[in-house]
Amino acid sequence: MLEPRYGEILQYNNLRGKDIISARDLSREDLEAIFRVADSYEENPSTYRDLLKGKTVALIFVEPSTRTYHSFEKASRILGCEVIGIRDPSISSMAKGENLYDTIKMIESYGADLIVLRHPSRGAALYAAEISRVPVINGGDGSREHPTQAILDLYTIYRKRGSIDGLRIGFLGDLRFSRTVSSLSYALTLFRDVEIYYIAPPMLQIRREVEVYLELRGVKYTKITDIGSAANALRNIDVLYVTRLQKERFPDPGEYEKLRGAYTVTPEILRIARSDVGIMHPLPRVDELSPELDGTPNAWYFDQARWGVNVRVALISLILG
Amino acid sequence: MEEHLLVRKIDMGTVIDHIPPWKAENVLRLLELDKIKRSEYSLIVLHNVPSRKYGRKDMIKIYRHHISHDEADIICLVYPTITVNYIRDWRVEKYKPKIPEKIVGRIRCPEPTCISNSPREPIKSRFRVIGELRAIQCEYCDTMVEFERMADLVIRREGS
Ligand SMILES: [Zn+2]
Repeated sequence: MLEPRYGEILQYNNLRGKDIISARDLSREDLEAIFRVADSYEENPSTYRDLLKGKTVALIFVEPSTRTYHSFEKASRILGCEVIGIRDPSISSMAKGENLYDTIKMIESYGADLIVLRHPSRGAALYAAEISRVPVINGGDGSREHPTQAILDLYTIYRKRGSIDGLRIGFLGDLRFSRTVSSLSYALTLFRDVEIYYIAPPMLQIRREVEVYLELRGVKYTKITDIGSAANALRNIDVLYVTRLQKERFPDPGEYEKLRGAYTVTPEILRIARSDVGIMHPLPRVDELSPELDGTPNAWYFDQARWGVNVRVALISLILG
Repeated sequence: MEEHLLVRKIDMGTVIDHIPPWKAENVLRLLELDKIKRSEYSLIVLHNVPSRKYGRKDMIKIYRHHISHDEADIICLVYPTITVNYIRDWRVEKYKPKIPEKIVGRIRCPEPTCISNSPREPIKSRFRVIGELRAIQCEYCDTMVEFERMADLVIRREGS
C-alpha cells in the first residue's frame, strides 16, 4: 500500500516517463513534487522499499564518477529495481570503438526502463534521449549540465531555509567549466526575487549562454572578478556555493597556485559573511573549503551529500511511478 | 553605374542582391555552389558595385539554378540586408526570407567536446535561432554562434 502522501503526489506527477536532460526542462511544480517525495521518503522509507520491483535501471557511466554512480545505484536498489551498469569506460565495449548510439540500443534491448547517462561530451544526454525509447536522466554531460545535482542543491537549500524565493546565492570558484553551476543557475530562475553573484577570475567566469538565459528571464546577477572586492557581496549572500579550481584548466601553474589560496573559504570569510550563510559544495573538495568550517552550522555540504540518495529515490519513483 | 550595365538580364536563375561589399565569397561558401556538378549553370559575382540603398554592395547572379528557400533563409540570417530574386522566363519574383527556427546539419558546432562533433555517432548538428541576439545556439552543447560567424562554420556537403 502506498502512503497516501505519495499517492497524492503521483496524481499530480508531470515527470512520469520524462527525460531529465537539463535543469531548464523542469518546472517549479516538478521541483516541488520531487522535494515532497524526498521528504516523504525520509519520514517513511519503508513505503518506498521495492516500490518499483520488476523495473530495470541502466547506469551508463562513460566517465568515472563514483559518487553519482553510487547514489543512483543505491536509490534504484532501495526502490527494488534491477540495476545494470556499464561503469569502467576503459574495459567497456565503448573503449573498443562502440558508439553511444549502439550502446543505447543494446541497453534498451536488455529491457532497461530508465537510463542514467554520464558522458564526457556536451550534449550526449540529449542525443541519448533522442535515440532511446525509455526515459534518460543526465548524470552529467561534459561541462554542460548536471541537473540531478542541481535538484539536490535546491533541495538542500529548501531543507535548510524552508524557501528558495528571495535568496541571494553566490557562486565561487571555477564557474566556467562547472556543470553544477550552470544547472543550478538555470533552476534558480524558477524562483522569485533570486539574486546571483558569480565570483571568479575572468578566465573562469560564468559562460555566456548562462548569462543570456538569466537575462532573457530577467534574473538579476552580478559578476565579481576579483575576490578582494567581494566583501560587499559576501555580506549579502544567503548561500555560498563553492566549486573546485582545477589545475588542468590553467595554462600557467603559477597562476593556479596564486588563485588557489584566494578562493579558499576560510573562517575569515565567514566573519565577513552573514552569520547564517550556508556553504555548499558538490564534493569532493580539494582545499577550497577550510576544514575549520566543518563543525560549524554554516557547513551544509555534508547534508547536501547525504540527501543525494533521497532526491534520486524521489526522481526515479516519479519518472517510473 | 548600375548593375544592369555590368551584366545583362537573365531568363532563368537566382539573383542575390544587397550582399555587404566583399562578402560574396562567404555567401558562395554558405551555398556551396562549387559543389553543383551540372554543367549548364554559370555564376557571376560582382564586387563592390554602387548601391543606392547601402553605398556599395556585392551581388551574385546564378544562371539556370534556383537556390532553395531554406538556403535563402540561412544566408539572410548571416547578412540580413540580402534580397533574393528568382527569375523564371524573364519574370522576377522576389522572395521574402524567413528567420528559420532551427538550422539542422548545415553549421558545424565550434565546441570540440560537443557530441555533434563526434565522428562515431550518426548525428546531425542542430542549432536554434535566437533572433533578438543575432545568434544561433547549439541544441546539444548550448554554445552560441553570432550570425556573422556562421559562414566560417558551414559543413561542406559531399559533392553531388
Ligand atoms: Zn554543440
